[in-house]
Amino acid sequence: MAGGMKGIKQRIKSVRSTMQITKAMELVASSKLRRAKERVERSRPYFEGMAALMNSIGAKGNDSVYLRQRPVKHSLFIVMAGDRGLAGGYNSGAFKLARQAMEGKNALVFAVGRKAVEEYSKEGRGPGAPRLLHTLPEIAGVQTASDLDELASLALQYYTDGEADEVYVVYTRFLNSLHQKPTLQKLLPLAGAQDGEEGPGELTIYDPSPGAVFDAVIPEYVKGILFGAACESFASEQGARRTAMESANDNAKEMIETLSLHYNRARQSAITQEITEIVAGANASRGE
Amino acid sequence: MAEFVLTILTPDGAFFEGPAEHAVFRTTEGDVGILAGHADYIAALISGPMKVKRQGSFRRGAVHGGVLKVHDNKVTVLASACEWADEIDVERARRAEQQAREQMAVYTSGKEFDLAQAKLKRALTRLRVTGA
Repeated sequence: MAGGMKGIKQRIKSVRSTMQITKAMELVASSKLRRAKERVERSRPYFEGMAALMNSIGAKGNDSVYLRQRPVKHSLFIVMAGDRGLAGGYNSGAFKLARQAMEGKNALVFAVGRKAVEEYSKEGRGPGAPRLLHTLPEIAGVQTASDLDELASLALQYYTDGEADEVYVVYTRFLNSLHQKPTLQKLLPLAGAQDGEEGPGELTIYDPSPGAVFDAVIPEYVKGILFGAACESFASEQGARRTAMESANDNAKEMIETLSLHYNRARQSAITQEITEIVAGANASRGE
Repeated sequence: MAEFVLTILTPDGAFFEGPAEHAVFRTTEGDVGILAGHADYIAALISGPMKVKRQGSFRRGAVHGGVLKVHDNKVTVLASACEWADEIDVERARRAEQQAREQMAVYTSGKEFDLAQAKLKRALTRLRVTGA
């Protein structure tokens, strides 16, 4: 029985030390989450304004290469995930969505975040598997939009060179601290005219022309959208990690409670047994 | 003087929001000055200086790329970066200029060259608006 007690004691100790780690991770994630959330909220007006503007200029109709739909031979996916695991279903959610979107397509991949790089550089992939072309191994290092200069200009280059006929971004939209949604967004070619959208009036002057303005702003637009997606993904990762760590903590607490109960029972029964033995021994010796 | 509402948004948040009397931005076609009651207008911006007049005096700054939109006496600038001249770190801009020139000497063409060139342009704009 004493051996059982020792085992239980050891388990309690190990659960407790795991809990210390998950607790620390939870605290770190919550403080990062706070900052990431503020950043997402600050940046949203810019992205929304940019997207609305591009749609309305696109709706004017011009023959920009960025609006033209062409037969799709290759599709470029920019997949954003985290740098670390232990964030619940955060990484796998994004990969699952990406996998669904890539089905039946000749997929090319730009991976952002260490986990995404790992996912797409796995060995032993079939011939139809997505081809990893470019990596940005640290999503946490994306602090300003200009950190994505290279990624954005490469994506544009693939598109204009005809090596990719459409460009998507897969990221995780930050709905709130508890809910994040993997999202697929088409970057290029732009959808152009959309019904019911309020665009600039007929009398708007485009300097020098709608097409020229459109083409000049496209790099900015792509970079902006990618930066927005990176901000959203980073905030989502922290949110997902905090939730995951919170439930890990709760589980650990529950386990410790149950184990303590077992431990106390074992201790009590050991004492009872000892007393019984002593009493029996005493009785036996008196009886002689 | 008549006023209009100027909003400058960047990915890092709203840089400026409020009434202005006169604003000058550098578009792909040259400098464009906006006064209240300007016709609806859209143009792309390049990295260059800007001027904003409020209560009779101009404040200078730098805008790096983006788009300018005038609609209904509201002026919106979406820029990837924006700063006032008096908030620019001159030392940092000098270092960036140096770095960009070094990179351009190493890569004489291609993507790296383009990135370095864009970086140089931003650094030079910053230095120019501070008068350094």
